[in-house]
Amino acid sequence: MSDAEMDFAPSTDLSIGVELELQILNSRDFDLARDAADLIALLEKASIPGAVKPEITESMVELNSSIHKSHGSLVAELKTIRDAVAQAAQRLNVRIAGGGSHPFHSWADRRIYPTERFNHLLSLYGYLAKQFTIFGQHVHIGCPDGDTAIYLAHILSRYVPHFIALSASSPFQQGEDTAYQSSRLNTVSAFPLSGQLPFVQSWEEFINYFNKMKNFGIVESMKDFYWDIRPKPEYGTVEIRVFDTPLTVERAALLAAYAQALARHILTDRPLAPSRDVYVVYNYNRFQACRYGLESRIVDAYAQRRVSMKDDVLETLAVVAPHATELGNGEALAMLREEVAADRTDANWLREIYRERGSLNDVARMQSDLWMGLDQGGQMKSGRES
Amino acid sequence: MTTFLPGYPFPPNPVLLFGLLLLAGIVGGELVKRALRLPRIVGYVLIGLLLGGSGVNLLDAKIAKESWIFVDIALGLVLFDLGRRLHFNWLRNDRWLLATGLLESGLSFGCVYFTLTYLGVEAIYAAVAAAIGVSTSPAVVLLVAQELKAEGQVTERALNLVAMNSVIAFILTTMLLSWLHHVYRASWTMIALHPVYLLGGSLILGYLASVAAIQLSRWIGKHAERQVVALLALIALSIGAARMLELSVLLALLAFGVFSRNLDERHDLMAVDLSSVGQMFYVVLFVVSGAKLQLVELMTGGVIAAAYVIARFAGKSIAVMSLTYFSGARAGSAGLLCIALTPMSGLALAMVHGTANVYPDFGAKLGTIVLSAVLILELIGPIAVNFALNRAGEAKDAVA
Repeated sequence: MSDAEMDFAPSTDLSIGVELELQILNSRDFDLARDAADLIALLEKASIPGAVKPEITESMVELNSSIHKSHGSLVAELKTIRDAVAQAAQRLNVRIAGGGSHPFHSWADRRIYPTERFNHLLSLYGYLAKQFTIFGQHVHIGCPDGDTAIYLAHILSRYVPHFIALSASSPFQQGEDTAYQSSRLNTVSAFPLSGQLPFVQSWEEFINYFNKMKNFGIVESMKDFYWDIRPKPEYGTVEIRVFDTPLTVERAALLAAYAQALARHILTDRPLAPSRDVYVVYNYNRFQACRYGLESRIVDAYAQRRVSMKDDVLETLAVVAPHATELGNGEALAMLREEVAADRTDANWLREIYRERGSLNDVARMQSDLWMGLDQGGQMKSGRES
Repeated sequence: MTTFLPGYPFPPNPVLLFGLLLLAGIVGGELVKRALRLPRIVGYVLIGLLLGGSGVNLLDAKIAKESWIFVDIALGLVLFDLGRRLHFNWLRNDRWLLATGLLESGLSFGCVYFTLTYLGVEAIYAAVAAAIGVSTSPAVVLLVAQELKAEGQVTERALNLVAMNSVIAFILTTMLLSWLHHVYRASWTMIALHPVYLLGGSLILGYLASVAAIQLSRWIGKHAERQVVALLALIALSIGAARMLELSVLLALLAFGVFSRNLDERHDLMAVDLSSVGQMFYVVLFVVSGAKLQLVELMTGGVIAAAYVIARFAGKSIAVMSLTYFSGARAGSAGLLCIALTPMSGLALAMVHGTANVYPDFGAKLGTIVLSAVLILELIGPIAVNFALNRAGEAKDAVA
């Protein structure tokens, strides 16, 4: 990668974009299927907004939204994309589901999507590449310049536990209840270049760090860093990558709206300065959020005390509310607040379904019914067919 | 002194026969896989040929007749499994797949019928032979797919087309019974009611079995190992009941599979895997069907067999090639689907057997037309399916 490619391409302040990694299931036993190529080929014939891309294994597909200024247009577009994807999936007799993990697939059954990059990842990471069949949501937030992006990334790191707890939707893995609300991030942690942005204070410092890593031969491009939050210079964004893919696109849009309002608060009020203490407690907080979700207690590095996650999220929602209103996300955040207050999370929903049905196949099926908007008979609910 | 020893020659029994057939099949399959790198099924059939009338005649007609019980169980399991693959929702959502299934069945019937009558075969024989040719061997396609651990659109679409053409082949052969009865001057009640009894009775049996399966599963709960046993019990019961009531084992079990898949609105039945149980019966199925085939017939009926095979392939291919583009399948999969629809095997033999039960001399003459073609397609079929699924990149270890 030339230096020019590390130039920070400025983008509209606080614009948002979303990437969703989704599960492709068969409709026989609802295990992961292998139809990514067929699905992508079929969607290429349809004209839908955004983009549809392959991911590391043939059981995954990634949907990208275009760039948005607020929640309203984002959620409308995500619904359009979802309906098109759901229809294409039905023609192939496969299911699409949200959720950070498939409840019972066996990673050894996965096949790498045949591209040069993915084959390289398989030869480099071995079984980890197949275990990487987990499903995350990435939220991009537009920044005017690299220095702003670095600042934003450091302050957002304090809120990473919120993002984890609010999106947690991977309680089951490989046929077991993991006891975690989000088990997906444990899989990410196995990669040597996972973790956090180093404690650099400017884009220039960051470039120095990057070049050092590149000269050591550790990385080739920004893509090689699997950080929880990373700057994305070619898009001119900060990319938050800790979200599990929620069970619905509506929830995905709510989470993006929260991140956007929070970013606006951070960049307009500049309430905090980057602190090393955030990174001292970082992994502890991250674990707590993964394990207990909204029920966890985390350490507020700035206030130097332990707080309840749920209270912390609710307080933060109150702080950013005016910014949400400014952005046109007021209603969205009110809805999110309601969900949090009522402990309605995707992980809880999945466990509830499992208790009710006693079968992870049913969990996977109902996960896909929910995402695709299908009735119990597997047909699209009326009003959803375009 | 002499009372406790067995008499000589040792009296055989069905269990001994089953074990021997299974062992022979496994050895044959392994040899063919290692020496020729062909699908194991080819080995099962070859060892059957070798042991049967065309070879050392160890499996003579009498023994082969005794083994029909295993064939019934094997075909019952296969058709149940296949029926569960036929998903009405898919046909609703991809109507071109439904259209493909109907057209390829219709065209393969038409092509074979006209080719055979053109070659001087009597119309009634041509019609029944053509109806049998509509079906693709579910056992071959399912087994090769299992052996390859194949998964994907070509595999799934092939299996759905096979399920559709099997249903249509059953309906056609059963309806043709009326004509056959007419030719043999049976009473009008025979002509009118026999097909109705066969179709209606088998469908009702399959329906009742599926309702029982769903209710039983609901009561048992989500316990895969217990649901498997319950299903096996109902499958055995259905096969036995179909035999007892002179119904079609094949149609009843296919209907059982289809209904249990499509009526289970509350998803009480788990997607249980019967392949490990089925495997041993499938091996025996192919050995026995190999033993039933006569190489001599291929010598005498060679031209007709070749014409049959070509006409059938043409009919299926024209339909699949012209309609697959409109369905959701990716470009390039139509040709592979045509190839995957080639096999004929035990199911065709069972259908010939079915007519022979009613009119033995008709069955014998029908056999000379159909069985040579089955012999060819039973050997080529597995290789064709193997090729198609590998080329589609859907085998677990295929290089895509």
